[in-house]
Amino acid sequence: MKGTLKIIFCFFSLLGLSQNDTIFEEANALYNDGKFAEAIDKYESILESGEHSAELYYNLGNANYKLNNIAPSIYYYEKALLLNPMDEDIKNNLTGYAENMTIDAIDKVPQVGFSRIINNLVNTYSADMWSKLAIGGVLLFVILFLMYHFSYASSRKRIAFIFSVLGLLLAFFSVAMAFQKQHLDEKDNPAIVFAQEARVRSEANRSSDEVFRLHEGTKVQVLENYEDWYKIQLADNSTGWIPNSDIKLLMTF
Amino acid sequence: MLLFTLTSVSAQVKFEAKVSKKKLGVNERLRIDFEMNKDGDNFVPPNFKDFTVVGGPNTSVSNSWVNGKRTYSKTYSYFLAPKKRGTFTIKQATIEIEGEIYKTFPVTINVTAAVDRPNAPPEASDIAAENIHLVAEVSKTNPYLNEGFTVVYKLYVSPETGVSNWREKDNPRYNDFWSQNIEIKGLNIQKGLYKGEEYRYVVLRKTVLYPQKTGKLKIEPLVLDITVEVPTGRADIFGRQIMTKVPKTVTAGSRTINVKALPEQEKPADFKGAVGDFNFKLTTSKTQLNATESLQAKIEVSGKGNLKLFELPKLNTPSSLEVYEPEHKENVRTNLSGMQGSISDTYTIVPQFRGKYPIPSISFSYFDLATESYKRITTDEVVIDVLEGPTAATATTENNTPSTKQTVRPNTNSFAFIKTNSNWKNIKSEPFFKSSGFWALLLLPFLAIPLAIVVRNQRDKRSADVQGNRIRKADRLAKKYLSEAKKNLGQKETFYESLERALHNYLKAKLNIETSDFNKERIDGLLNERQVQQPVISDFISILENCELARYTPITQVTMENDYEKAAKTISLIDKQMR
Repeated sequence: MKGTLKIIFCFFSLLGLSQNDTIFEEANALYNDGKFAEAIDKYESILESGEHSAELYYNLGNANYKLNNIAPSIYYYEKALLLNPMDEDIKNNLTGYAENMTIDAIDKVPQVGFSRIINNLVNTYSADMWSKLAIGGVLLFVILFLMYHFSYASSRKRIAFIFSVLGLLLAFFSVAMAFQKQHLDEKDNPAIVFAQEARVRSEANRSSDEVFRLHEGTKVQVLENYEDWYKIQLADNSTGWIPNSDIKLLMTF
Repeated sequence: MLLFTLTSVSAQVKFEAKVSKKKLGVNERLRIDFEMNKDGDNFVPPNFKDFTVVGGPNTSVSNSWVNGKRTYSKTYSYFLAPKKRGTFTIKQATIEIEGEIYKTFPVTINVTAAVDRPNAPPEASDIAAENIHLVAEVSKTNPYLNEGFTVVYKLYVSPETGVSNWREKDNPRYNDFWSQNIEIKGLNIQKGLYKGEEYRYVVLRKTVLYPQKTGKLKIEPLVLDITVEVPTGRADIFGRQIMTKVPKTVTAGSRTINVKALPEQEKPADFKGAVGDFNFKLTTSKTQLNATESLQAKIEVSGKGNLKLFELPKLNTPSSLEVYEPEHKENVRTNLSGMQGSISDTYTIVPQFRGKYPIPSISFSYFDLATESYKRITTDEVVIDVLEGPTAATATTENNTPSTKQTVRPNTNSFAFIKTNSNWKNIKSEPFFKSSGFWALLLLPFLAIPLAIVVRNQRDKRSADVQGNRIRKADRLAKKYLSEAKKNLGQKETFYESLERALHNYLKAKLNIETSDFNKERIDGLLNERQVQQPVISDFISILENCELARYTPITQVTMENDYEKAAKTISLIDKQMR
């Protein structure tokens, strides 16, 4: 009975997978025929099934770009980059095409010195990747330490000892990096402006002064949330409050 | 005679009372004439009970023939002085002309307080004041803020007087208004009514005003210096009136305009003060072009209203487009109905990179006077498609090496196509970091170190124990090959069958031979080759013989156990001695 259930479950999951693949192919065909809106509907139906991929978000970005939907195209490209930060096609279409459609020009305040080096290092891998490295380091340490302990030749002992210590150091370092990366990820809460023109105010209410205006497609960092407002920060470090209906968070999967 | 009758019939009889003035001071005098155009009898004057008759009746008769036509008039005149102040009526006078009785209309006289200079002829300046009027006509006295209206200055001159010269003494300043004069070419004398009397008038000045402030605003008066020609009442020898020239200053009285504020309710956020009736357009000279070519985007407001008085909405463009300062153009005519025409800003845009650049829709709000409400016009979004050129992501490095061959340059930064394959992941994926699996995998390997050390120590201890090792090895061998036989211990036939099979299997495994043919000589030879000692070989063979014998002889439980023990021992010995 249990076995049959398992088989049925496996069968269903396989079926679901192939179903998404066929929808994906249908949507790609629609895209290639120039029916971008229909393609978007199909792509989004895959999202509703609870599965996603960098490729899916990338294709959604492409279809929205073709329809001149500024904010959605940038939104989906950014999501695709979150899942696959190294993909050249995504970077090309985002920076070379979609971001040209935005209106706001924001100067980026460059990170300098030590913190930039640290952040670059931390951001090399995801937290999960760092934790896997830590486990690898621990295993290396244990194996080499036992080799050191059980081997008789002094030269082998010495080499095994040195490498086992290196493995232990790698493990500690990776754990620290994983914690740091998770800390950075918690702080990193980017969002895309969806309103055509959004007024950013100095306080979280409509009667306060307008600090600046943002236009569709601009990427902002969300710092905190109060009632119906988000406190946002731009790349040039200026901050303000924006109604939460004007932006869409990237981290909601 | 016949002719005379005809004329007498056709000529109408007229009998009228005329007063020199209807209003006089109590210390003044008044003359009343009763005039008729036919001679009559029995003239009965009215009873002047409120007046004293100072002189009269004087009778005068005039008779003239002009072009064979006779004009006759006979007048009875009285000079009267009023007895007191008040309003009095001089009743009818009657006369009998050709047998019929005619009556005059009663005349009402108003007697006022005593005047300084009784019975002096009116002064020229007074006459001028009465007969010259400067009027400012305002088309609207309570306009909205920024709603246009006009002020027209008219100079009314009565037919008796004339104006020989005029000069503007003080030009009105319109503070808090935007104003524009409408030029008037030549003074056109027109006829019109002023307070019910017929006057001639000229329009001196027309001004269009747009109030720039709410509340009660004052329009300063227009002041004119004019020279008025006034009849003196005397005539020269040719019988023409002698006119005197009197300088006079006339003003058009200041007017107050009550300017209403535009309603605050529903005032759109993008309202910049436009009031009137407008049309709004955003046009681009082209929508498809190559990078570094230029195009013009034009924002235009046309219609009627305060066109010069508000700002045009700004063009929002993607930051990656190069946009130059707009060229502002006004094409506005101003006439009595206000400003009309169009204003426009023309932006020159030069795209630098390939791609699509949407120019977002622009909205323009104005206050519509006809419906007294705000209206908004929103343009469509325009997408500029830059077909060719470098992409934004890369700096362009053109190599201009002259070559006769056409180089094939792959366009590396073209818009990338969609991905055709996908690796699906669950949207809700649990993070591995900080999961219990992570902690387990991170920490458990450390436990392996003491565990491994303990295991190793025990192994060392065991390998040091030689005798024990041998026993353990034999046990292991017996367990491996004789486990089936041990299970069948007690059942004679199956026990021996399985024991024999186990021994054969052991030999097969140890000697690596594939054969079912195991006779004693062959086993003996094979084991001898492997340097197994003779008593062990004979033991082994004897066990095999026992197995065959046991099938036909009764065997006890004890013998079976003995055979099993012996087999186990022999196997371990063979194993040890075999090379």
